[in-house]
Amino acid sequence: MTTKQKPELLAPAGNLEKLKFAIHYGADAVYIGGRQFGLRSKAGNFTFDEMREGVAFANKYGAKVYVATNIIAHNENLDGAHEYFKNLYEVGVSAVIAADPALIQSCREAAPDLEIHISTQASIANWKTAQFWKNEGIPRVVLAREVSVEEIREMKEKVDIEIEAFIHGAMCISYSGRCVLSNHMTSRDANRGGCAQSCRWKYDLFEDGIDDDIAVSEQADEKYTMSSQDLSMVEHLPDLIEAGVDSLKIEGRMKSIHYVATVVNVYRKIIDTYFEDPDHYQIDQAWIDEIWKAAQRSLSTAFYYNEPTDKDQLFGKPDRIPKYDFAGLVLDYDQQTQMATIQQRNSFGVGDEVEFFGPHFYHFKQTITELWNEQGEPIDRAKHAMMITKIKVDQPLKYYDMMRKQK
Amino acid sequence: MCSYKPELQATAEDFDEVKSLIKAGADAIVLGNQQFGNRVCGDFTLDQIKSATEWLHLEGKRIYIMVNAIFHNDHLKQLPDYLKTLETFGVDGIIAGDQAIFQLLEDLDLTLPLTWNPATLSTNYQTLNFWHQRGLKRATLSNELSLDAVIEIKQKVTFPIEIQVHGMTCIFQSKRKLIRNYYNHIKKEYHPNQTRFIKEDKKDDTHYPIFEDINGTHIMSNEDLVMIEYLDQILEAEIDGLLINGILKTRSYNEKMVSIYREAIDTYLNNPRNYQIKKSGWRQAIEDIQPEQRGMNTGFYFKEQIY
Repeated sequence: MTTKQKPELLAPAGNLEKLKFAIHYGADAVYIGGRQFGLRSKAGNFTFDEMREGVAFANKYGAKVYVATNIIAHNENLDGAHEYFKNLYEVGVSAVIAADPALIQSCREAAPDLEIHISTQASIANWKTAQFWKNEGIPRVVLAREVSVEEIREMKEKVDIEIEAFIHGAMCISYSGRCVLSNHMTSRDANRGGCAQSCRWKYDLFEDGIDDDIAVSEQADEKYTMSSQDLSMVEHLPDLIEAGVDSLKIEGRMKSIHYVATVVNVYRKIIDTYFEDPDHYQIDQAWIDEIWKAAQRSLSTAFYYNEPTDKDQLFGKPDRIPKYDFAGLVLDYDQQTQMATIQQRNSFGVGDEVEFFGPHFYHFKQTITELWNEQGEPIDRAKHAMMITKIKVDQPLKYYDMMRKQK
Repeated sequence: MCSYKPELQATAEDFDEVKSLIKAGADAIVLGNQQFGNRVCGDFTLDQIKSATEWLHLEGKRIYIMVNAIFHNDHLKQLPDYLKTLETFGVDGIIAGDQAIFQLLEDLDLTLPLTWNPATLSTNYQTLNFWHQRGLKRATLSNELSLDAVIEIKQKVTFPIEIQVHGMTCIFQSKRKLIRNYYNHIKKEYHPNQTRFIKEDKKDDTHYPIFEDINGTHIMSNEDLVMIEYLDQILEAEIDGLLINGILKTRSYNEKMVSIYREAIDTYLNNPRNYQIKKSGWRQAIEDIQPEQRGMNTGFYFKEQIY
């Protein structure tokens, strides 16, 4: 038995297409960036028109759209904030995610009815801080990555506020927001979207007064580095649900459509399976296998159970992780002829073993035996980006289903 | 005659250093206990804080206690008693950077004056005004600001503003034990008292001190901030607090720095022209005792950042 409400599954959406996939594959909400005040200056980011379209799409699914306005602003960045929040409200997004009180204040004044969530950049790691924001009228806080499952449970017991916690994706190895390595090493302001990920670089480490000229790292044949493995709670999700987390968040506005769809699909399946019958819930190896098809680094549970050790960091050569390409998007399927219309996203051809998958953890593998172009002429390979092809596929498919291929 | 009197603050690691820095000319001492403070130079017990407070107040000087850790639930068990005790000592303020402090001071009905110092997050005047409405008495600005931005903030707020003018600045904090993790990985014995630094790959002249304590791993800036030649701009803007951060420096170095900045500040306030004449001499005096590995620069005060 569980006494908990089904938590929200929250996914990143770097652009409009990713938003549609994230929602179609089962996200209850997505977070996006606009053209201003967001930390992922290189993610696609949305114009107000694109946001409007995104919100309309989300509404059809009963999903929500949040906008990250999570920079730590300098004086000169504050111009236009009022206007920006007014526009966000008019566009119809459900909330903004902010860390800087200047922007929080600005949002309150410009759009008093727009919900504000406090970003992980504020490093909220204790229940008293959560209580502070509760008393400020804030409905939700995104926790620091440094809290444990037990600490979350205590926060939920003590404070009646929604908690959003990361369940999957890349992480800062520092307290987010408290690292300015990038500022110092590259003059790029990490807290305004310029992070150069200097923590993942290689360094020489020296001990003062001991062979000053020889780095410890040189003797050890392994440079000093501070690169975190990626977070994954795929094997432990019920622990976070039972601790009372209200929103389970996937990192990665810069990630691909294939990544977003795959990861969302797995966590949707896990949440739904758990709530169907919590007492008999069992982890399915297929879910873990599926997560690895989108993984880019080794995976860790970070701070959720124990303080991370060297085993939660990336040293030496990267672990070998099989990589998959998003080969094609299913546009249509004809039941009678079993012919699938597929838009090429990466090169594929006759003889390739591909895997089709879709929402609700729908999966099957097939070898491509015959392939046609849009004109119906047989071809060997689909080489051109976005070209339309036809493939005979034994099992039914739908629009938005995807075809992947191991690299 | 203007009533502006900047406060020269210095960090101390024990009572002896408190005394020597005051003798050298500091107006206020910053210290703390590592359980509640980040990058505290020494590790003062409550009894030691009490003695230091009494002594400093007899001297007519001020004391600020660093309570600037990023708090976890566990901290909250002891924090109320700690804060209440500090209030009974009559310390001149606490320096904190976790938003919980606003709730704690209110819940405990304490009047401990709060210097708000959330390290990298103190970057604009609207943010500081927000926290001022919630009770801060003073604010320390982030080190990654231009001097123009510092001055603009000072002009737009009504409460005292502090900046660091000398020493290392913190550029990274992780809760993880990153040095220990690395030593485990390369199977080398880890000695906690050993001091260490890292260099950027293929940049031999870089020198970033790195250390671990109970709050995690900290990395400090490549060069020491040295603002001795630009105090005129800082003092003209009437910045209220000027901090010399003595972390990872020798006592004699810190004492010398305090005396040089004391002389420079007093000289400027008495006669700005004399400050201009003498500033290169002070710079030279700093250079003379600057550790060989430590470069000197002006941080972000005159540097552009992109993003």
